[in-house]
Amino acid sequence: MKVGDVFSYAFSAIRLRKLRAGLTTLGVVIGIAAIVALLAISQGLQATITDQLQSGFSTDTLIVSPGGGRLFSGVGGGIGGESSGFSLVVNDTQIIDEIEGVVASAAVIQETCFVDGAKAVGAYVVGVDFEVYSEIYSSTFVAETGEIPLNPDNDTVVVGKRVSDPWENGTTVCTVGDSVDIVWINTAVRPPKNETHVASVAAVLEEVGGLSLTGPSDYSVYIPIGQAQSFFGTDGCDRIVVKLASEDDATIAAVSEAIEEAFNGQVSVTSATAVLDIISSVFSTIELFLAGIAAISLLVAGVGIMNIMIVSLMERTREIGILKALGMKSRTVLAIFISEAVIIGVLGAVFGIGLGWLLANVAARVFTGGGFAATTGQAAAAGSFVINPVITPTVLLGAFGFGIIVSVIFAIYPAWRASKLKPVDALRYE
Amino acid sequence: MVAPVVEAVDLKKTYLLGKVPVNALQGVNLKVEKSDFVAILGPSGSGKSTLLNMVGALDKPTEGKVFINGVDVSTLNDNQLADLRRSIGFVFQFFNLIPRLTARGNVELTLSIADLAKNERRKRAEELLETVGLKERMNHKPSELSGGERQRVAIARALANNPGFLLMDEPTGNIDSKTAKEIIGLVKRLNKDEGVTIIMITHDQQLATQAKRVVKMLDGAIVKAVDQL
Repeated sequence: MKVGDVFSYAFSAIRLRKLRAGLTTLGVVIGIAAIVALLAISQGLQATITDQLQSGFSTDTLIVSPGGGRLFSGVGGGIGGESSGFSLVVNDTQIIDEIEGVVASAAVIQETCFVDGAKAVGAYVVGVDFEVYSEIYSSTFVAETGEIPLNPDNDTVVVGKRVSDPWENGTTVCTVGDSVDIVWINTAVRPPKNETHVASVAAVLEEVGGLSLTGPSDYSVYIPIGQAQSFFGTDGCDRIVVKLASEDDATIAAVSEAIEEAFNGQVSVTSATAVLDIISSVFSTIELFLAGIAAISLLVAGVGIMNIMIVSLMERTREIGILKALGMKSRTVLAIFISEAVIIGVLGAVFGIGLGWLLANVAARVFTGGGFAATTGQAAAAGSFVINPVITPTVLLGAFGFGIIVSVIFAIYPAWRASKLKPVDALRYE
Repeated sequence: MVAPVVEAVDLKKTYLLGKVPVNALQGVNLKVEKSDFVAILGPSGSGKSTLLNMVGALDKPTEGKVFINGVDVSTLNDNQLADLRRSIGFVFQFFNLIPRLTARGNVELTLSIADLAKNERRKRAEELLETVGLKERMNHKPSELSGGERQRVAIARALANNPGFLLMDEPTGNIDSKTAKEIIGLVKRLNKDEGVTIIMITHDQQLATQAKRVVKMLDGAIVKAVDQL
């Protein structure tokens, strides 16, 4: 029997029991939709996060922070590793500048602070050399209004967009020319006390967006490095940012190694690329996990297919007997039953992908929805998160193939049993 | 010498009904030549259906051999048996049509199993249905046809692949006597005009008289063979 005839016969059998076939297919639809929706959302989320990181992060920069083997040590407490007591000092930039492949380096001193305005706004006070820092972050450390002074006096500050306009609604706390009170807690004295620095705003940075881990951030107040040193009473710095001559992997590796060597292993060097790699590998794991959960629902659908096909096999025993008496080969009977599963699998996969895409978009809209995000200050502080669900061709083909494969696998046993029926027994079956 | 269309040699079949062995056939010999019309007559339980299953290559004998066109059926594998069945036209008491297919669809199905091209299938199915007098009703499903019409569809289907012989199991057992007459008339015409070899099982004495030859069975054995020519 020709393949086309096998399929059209199988299709006529499915069409006869529309409700049953529909419900069986629905199982596959739900399974595929779950996989597609979860993957589309998590890939969309990954794309958003990666995008946001890249916008605050230059791929041709390295971050040098104290403590060997520590990851993200420049940010907050760092992950893993023991503090060795070693700390970087501002003048360490001179050592780094000597290394081949380094264009410039800037020390960064960072403390938590408040900017006094209409409302106290949480921010970081960051001490940097404006000239070098703007060279390193030439695309993000850029003034939107005002001008970044290259030789600032001590009372000049540059503020991030969200320090100027924390609620994203045009209500500004400070703009160029304003004088601001920057308040931080001095922990060097006993008891720790609040210190206030009155400075005038020379520039407001362009919006960087994203979750800036190390580069310029919308939530920072930049003060000259010398001023920071005297405020915090230290020559130590939190990290040193390094601009490389090239962003290729070889340069990143060579310079990273040279820097670690120069400090005798007491520093760790993190590249933007490495951070992005880590994030992408974390997301891969999450995606695998989500897809695994969704796959379980598809397996349940497969059991449904098997169940329905065994019932259908019993109902159609006589039909199989007739077909065999008419000279149909066992393998053709097998092919007919498998084809029925393929049809169910294809329909389920197609509708499942459509439904999954729809669900992903609805979920993304709810998740990023205007009302939900804007009502809480938290959401505003976390940056506005827009998730655009992503379906890659891999996911598309994978979901399609998986739907069909699961359907077929669970149909093999019933189909095999159908093909093995003896014609005389099948014809006698009531 | 041309081999007989069907030859059964010392055919025995034992079933297990639960744990009790039942000797359904106890050494049956039968020879059917081309263009013959044999009626196998016997009460229920006489083994005639079992014999039909053996001769139709639907079941295997416990002992003895069946030759179809000179080929020993016991030497064939599953696929070869399937091919062999295409050269046998089955007509069953309960029609055994595929309910979801139309009259023409049922006939075309048989032809598609034999890999006939689509346009040829259609043409041949229409011709066959015309032969059995169902040209006007060929787009109806079995549920829309009377018993007699259904059996005509079944006969058309049985004839589809130009079979070596027709194997009919109580072909009029489920239809009224008037229609039964028409059906048997059709069968006789096929035998007479087209030379179709026919083996027909029945328990109806009256019907059996229409055949060229009557073979009487009782308790799994042939008790009497009558030539009616």
